[in-house]
Amino acid sequence: MSEVVLAARGLRKSYQSGDLEIEVLRGVDIALGAGESVSIRGESGSGKSTLLNLLAGLDAPDGGTLSWGGEPAQANRRATFLGIVFQSFYLIPEIDALANVLMAARMVKAPGAAERARAKDLIARVGLAERATHLPAQLSGGERQRVAVARALMNSPKLLLADEPTGNLDEHTGDAVVELLLGLCRETQTALVLVTHNAAYAAKTGRQLFLRDGVLNGTNPVDVSSR
Amino acid sequence: MPWYLYLACKQLFPSGRFPFFTAISVLGVTLGVAVLIIVTSVMGGFGYEIRRMIVETEGEVDVKATGYLSDPQDVLAQISATPGVAAATPYVKGVVGVQANGRPAYPIFRGVDVGTIERVANLGRFTNPRSAIANLDDDSVVLSSQLATSLGVHVGDKIEIYSPLLIEKLKNDEVFLPREFRVVGELYIGHQQLDSSTIYGTLRAAQELYGLGRSVHGIYVRVKPDVDEHAVVAQLNATLPRATTQAYSWMESWADFLWVLNLEKSINFFLLLFIVIIAAFSVMSSLLISVVRKTREIGLLGALGARPRDVALCFCAQAFIIGLTGTAIGVGMGFGVLAIRNDLVHGIARLMQRQETLRQFYQFSDLPSHTLTSDLVMTVVAAIVISTLAGLIPAWRAARLKPVEALRSE
Repeated sequence: MSEVVLAARGLRKSYQSGDLEIEVLRGVDIALGAGESVSIRGESGSGKSTLLNLLAGLDAPDGGTLSWGGEPAQANRRATFLGIVFQSFYLIPEIDALANVLMAARMVKAPGAAERARAKDLIARVGLAERATHLPAQLSGGERQRVAVARALMNSPKLLLADEPTGNLDEHTGDAVVELLLGLCRETQTALVLVTHNAAYAAKTGRQLFLRDGVLNGTNPVDVSSR
Repeated sequence: MPWYLYLACKQLFPSGRFPFFTAISVLGVTLGVAVLIIVTSVMGGFGYEIRRMIVETEGEVDVKATGYLSDPQDVLAQISATPGVAAATPYVKGVVGVQANGRPAYPIFRGVDVGTIERVANLGRFTNPRSAIANLDDDSVVLSSQLATSLGVHVGDKIEIYSPLLIEKLKNDEVFLPREFRVVGELYIGHQQLDSSTIYGTLRAAQELYGLGRSVHGIYVRVKPDVDEHAVVAQLNATLPRATTQAYSWMESWADFLWVLNLEKSINFFLLLFIVIIAAFSVMSSLLISVVRKTREIGLLGALGARPRDVALCFCAQAFIIGLTGTAIGVGMGFGVLAIRNDLVHGIARLMQRQETLRQFYQFSDLPSHTLTSDLVMTVVAAIVISTLAGLIPAWRAARLKPVEALRSE
């Protein structure tokens, strides 16, 4: 059994809507080993993004536990432990593609020659070596998402969380981005959680989970109860 | 460079551009700083000119007699022997009546010792011809330029001077005729008050006009370079007889005038500081708009691992950089305007044909300027601190944003 990168147990989250309390997650269990990939599908509003935000430590659960690499998830470890790819890319418009990739490294420390070299290497690996000095506004949607993928991998994270990364892309570009994500994660032994609506993309991951009624269904080879 | 400083620079000046919001914010601070520097420098210039005028016409210390000094030579010797004193010269000073070409005037007659006055005061610098004071005799005078103009006299003309003794004599039914003096030079100091109402003559002529015999009204003292005049004043007051004399530094002699000048400068500084404060509100509103426009970017920074404190620092840094840039340009602009101030003032006066009015109502024909380091430091520090403080509210709002909510915002 590989090293457990992500372990969540009994995650619960509810929102208040007027007088009504909506329970979005009702005890989600998930565990992921190094280099594993898992897809999470579900209907719109089923809580996929909410779950991903909890797994990323961006939001606090109402109940349950979350650990990254066997240690409790803490915001100050986020920059080095995990990378996130969003549906809307979220690149910083004032800086070029290379600087956007390097921004992830800046969050940890002032980048040196090694970090610059890695950023250039990642930009080249996502096929944008010629466009490294272009601003986000000068890039297409697919290119922007590839920059976002390179940024997510900049700090060599153990875990990559992708929230519908093809949602704003055409089918052809979406295919390329998903292949890129899966390929890079395989290559760098990075665990991947892919939230998607697309069954074909989900099928490319090691495991397929389905979020319904606030609970994750599907195969889960790592035994979280033993952690 | 920490990421928040890097991002602050990039957001303010993306790819070397100067975006509109940044330009407006920087311009506000620039104008505030430039105006503050111009006004404090001009006010400082007035103060500096006052000092130059006083010191170069009266020396740094004035030993005034309580009434008059009947034996000035002893006091002069005592003063000259005081450590730090470079030179001393006696004077008689008082109002006289003057008449020439049927026009009257009531200037101050300053009787000076021709042999020693130039060691204390640099009057030759202000006279035409330069040797006018040195060549004075008991029947000649030097008139200040505006007084000569108002009386309609020139070098070589004669004027009649009426002594205050005339009044005393009239009380006793005696006749006291005015004395006739020859004008041998004109004096132009650059101070309206002095240029319009001063006559220089010999000490003896003044003593005769006032009926003082050999007595004098006081002694001007020149202090050696790099010697504190206040220390010399203290020393003189400790050694000279207090019953008959009292030494004052030039600042003490002109304390009321200098206080008013300083008060005017302080009030001007305080009022003009509001330009910087208003500019700071512009900085604040620009940054608040930026927080709203960049809400999702702020969420991204949180997702990338930025701490709320660092997000706040990013916005504070932007306010600081705006303050720093605006202040730097404002200092340059301020000194640039100061460099051409006289051309500007004279140009405006010429345009409006008001050159004489300018000379009449202001103390100096040229606009003086003297920038004190303390004023410059105060302006720079105030502008940068106020601008940086303007970033606090946007910074606080940005830091309060929760990444997950910020990313979700429309």
